[in-house]
Amino acid sequence: MARITKRRTLAVAGALAVAALALAGCSGSGSDSGSDGDTLKLWHYESEDSAMGKAWNEAIKTFEKETGAKVEFEEKSFEQIQKTASQVLDTDAAPDLMEFNKGNATAGFLASTGLISDISDAVDEYGWADKLAPSLQTTAKYSEDGVMGGDTWYGVPNYGEFVGVYYNKDAFAAAGLEIPTTYDEFVKVLDAFVAKGITPLAEAGAEYPLGQLWYQLALSKADRSFVDDYQLYKNPVDWQGPEISYATDTLKEYVDKGYIAKDVSSVKAEDAGVSFINGTAPIFVSGSWWYGRFVEEATGFDWTMTAFPGADLSLGSSGNLWVVPENAANKELAYKFIDITMRPEIQAIIGNNGGLPVAADPADITDAKSQELIATFNGILDDDGLSFYPDWPAPGFYDVIVQELQGLVTGTQDAETTNANLGAQYDEGTADFR
Amino acid sequence: MSVLTRAESAARAETGATRADGRSRKARTKLPPEEPAIPQRKGGTAGYWLYLLPGFVLLLVIIVIPLIFNVYLTFTKWRGVRSPEFIGLDNWAKVFTDEDFWTSFVNSIWMVVAMVVLPTIIGLVVAALLFDVVGRKFGGKVGSFLRATYYLPQILPIAVAGIVIGWIFRPGATGAMNQLLGVLGIPPVDWLGQMPSALLVLMAVLVWVQIGYPIVVFMAALQRVDPELYEAAELDGANWFQRFSAITLSIIRPEVFVVTLTCTIAALKVFGPVYVITQGGPAGATLVPAYYAYTEFFTKRNIGYGATIATVLTILVVIVSIIFIRAQSSLERKERAGL
Repeated sequence: MARITKRRTLAVAGALAVAALALAGCSGSGSDSGSDGDTLKLWHYESEDSAMGKAWNEAIKTFEKETGAKVEFEEKSFEQIQKTASQVLDTDAAPDLMEFNKGNATAGFLASTGLISDISDAVDEYGWADKLAPSLQTTAKYSEDGVMGGDTWYGVPNYGEFVGVYYNKDAFAAAGLEIPTTYDEFVKVLDAFVAKGITPLAEAGAEYPLGQLWYQLALSKADRSFVDDYQLYKNPVDWQGPEISYATDTLKEYVDKGYIAKDVSSVKAEDAGVSFINGTAPIFVSGSWWYGRFVEEATGFDWTMTAFPGADLSLGSSGNLWVVPENAANKELAYKFIDITMRPEIQAIIGNNGGLPVAADPADITDAKSQELIATFNGILDDDGLSFYPDWPAPGFYDVIVQELQGLVTGTQDAETTNANLGAQYDEGTADFR
Repeated sequence: MSVLTRAESAARAETGATRADGRSRKARTKLPPEEPAIPQRKGGTAGYWLYLLPGFVLLLVIIVIPLIFNVYLTFTKWRGVRSPEFIGLDNWAKVFTDEDFWTSFVNSIWMVVAMVVLPTIIGLVVAALLFDVVGRKFGGKVGSFLRATYYLPQILPIAVAGIVIGWIFRPGATGAMNQLLGVLGIPPVDWLGQMPSALLVLMAVLVWVQIGYPIVVFMAALQRVDPELYEAAELDGANWFQRFSAITLSIIRPEVFVVTLTCTIAALKVFGPVYVITQGGPAGATLVPAYYAYTEFFTKRNIGYGATIATVLTILVVIVSIIFIRAQSSLERKERAGL
C-alpha cells in the first residue's frame, strides 16, 4: 500500500513538474507574428511630433495607399529596443522593419550575430547608395565582425546629425563680442565671458555632452587616419598620443579657467540645454538634435549654430538606421517602405521640421532656420568631416567615458591616469572586434 | 535584571516554549495534551509531500535552475545571443583583481551602515519612544500616526523619490538644497558631483527610505510587552534609558535579528537608489556590486562576467545569512542555559 502511494505521489509530482516547465518554457513563444503577407510590422522610437515622426507618419500613409498593405506600427522606446532587441529578433515575434541605433556596439553587434539581414541586393535594386554621402554610408555598412565601414549593407539611414556650437547672439552683442570663426577667437571669447563673471559653456559631466566636447577637442588635432584607428580599429590607438593628451589636458584647463562650471560632473544634458535656453550660458557645444527644440523654446534671444571652430572633423553620423530582421516575414514590404522614406517629399518633411535629411531637394526646404542648419551639415559632408562618437567603438564605453571624465574634472585623477584608464577599457572592449 | 527574567518567563509560559535544552526534536513537535492530534493516514507522511510539490516545482523553475545556469555562465564568455563560449576560470580570476569590483564591495559596507546600522539604532530608539513615551502620554492614535509617517518613504517608488532627490541636490544655485544654503549665505555645494558628499547624500537617502521598516516591526514587537513591566520598573526608580535597555531591548531581540538580517541582505543587493540617483558616479564613487553587475550584463554585454559578480554577491548574501542565523541560535541557546 505504501509503495503504491509513493508511486502515485511520484507520478503526480512528475506531471506537475512537466506542466510547470511547459508553462515556463512556453511563456515567450507562441505569439502571433501578425504578418500575413499584406501587413508590414513596423517598430520605431521617434516621437510623433519630432521631424522623423512626422515624416514617417506621412510615409505610412503613402505606403498603405500605394501597396494596399496595412502597416502595423508599434511605438517603442529607444531603451526598449536597445536592451531587448537581440532577444526579440531571435523569435518569430520579430518585426518586418525596425529602427535601430547605428554603430559597432549596436547595429554592428546585431549584424555580426546574423540577427539582421544583409540588404545589399535591395540597396542596389532601389539605388539608395547614390543618395547617401560616403561618410553616411560608413554607419550603414558592416564587416563580418560587425565593424562599421565594412562592405555589406545592413541598414539605411534617412537623416543625419552632427555636433557643433550654439551661440547666443544677443549675449555676444551685449558683451561686445563677435561669433568666433577660428579656435583662437573661440578661446578669446571664452576668456572675455569669464572676465565678465559669466561661465560661458553650458556643460554636463553626468551624461554625453562632456565626452563629446572631449572627443571634439581630440578631433581638432586629428586627421581621418586617427578616426579610422579609433572607430574602425585600423591601427592601435595611442592613448597618451598628441590628440588624446591634448583633449584631456584642454578639458581640464577649461574647468580650471572657469570656461566650464566647477560643479559640472553631476550636471545632466537636459540641464545644460536648459541653461542655454534660459540664456544663462551663452555657448553650448552639442548636437543638431537640440536644434528643433531651441527653435521652439529659445525664443527670448537670437541664436545660431556653426561647426566647431578650427576643426576639419566634427562628431556626427547618419541618424538611426532602418534594419530588416533576419526573421522578418515580409522583407519585400520592408524594402518598399524604406524606399518611400527616401523620397524627396518625405525627406523635405524631415528638413522642414528641424531634422537633417540625407536625400532632400534643397528647393523643398522652405524654413530659413532649417536651411541654415542643413547648409552647415552639407558643408561638413562635403569635407568628409563626419567622425562619429567617442563611445561607439566598444560596448559600454559610454559609461566609461562619463566616469573617467568625472574623475578628471573633480580632480580625483590626473590627465595621464584618465587617458591610461580610458585606453585600458577601450582595448578590453574592442578586443572582440579586432 | 530580575524584571527582565520575570518578563521572559512570562512570555515563554504564554507561548508554550517550554524546552529546556533546545535540541530535542521530540520536545519541539510534541503537542500540548489538550490539542487533538491530526489523524495520520496509514503509510506515513508520504501523502503530505503532494502538497509541498507545487512549491518545490516553483523553487526549481524560478530559483534553482536559473541559479545553476548563472553559475554555469561564470565559466563562459557570452554576449547574450548565440552560444556561450567556455573560458574556464578567467572570469573568476578577473573578479578578484578587478579594482572596480573591490570599490563596489567597499561601498557595500557603507550601504550596510546606511541601511542596517543607522536605521536599526534609530528605529529602536524611535519605536521605544513612540511606545513608551508618546503612546502613554498622547494615546495610541498619535503613536500610530507617527509610525505611519515614518513608514511613508517605504511606500514611495524609488524612481519617484530619485527624481525629487535629484532636484533637491541639483548643483549650482537651482537646486533646492543649495537655495536653502544660499539663504544662509553659504555657497552652493556640488552634492552629487564630488566625494564624499555624493556617497553621504546616497546614504542619507537610504536611511530616510529605510527607517520606517524597523520602526513598524519593533512597534509590533513591543505590543508583546506587558505595560505593567514598565510601570513596575518605573516604581523601582528605573529611568527611560534603563527601561529601554532592560525591557525593550531584551524583549524585541528576535525582531532586531530579523530586521538586521533582512536589511543586510537588502543593503548588499541595493540597486534602485544607485541607478536613479548617481548611476555609480562620480567616477565610480557610489558603485555597488548589483549596479556593476547590471552594467556588465546590459551595457557591456559581458554576460559571463556580470554573472560572476552576481554569483559572488549571492555567495556573500548566503554567508552573511548563515552567520546571522547561527549567531541568533547561539544567543538563544545561551539564554536558555541561563534560565
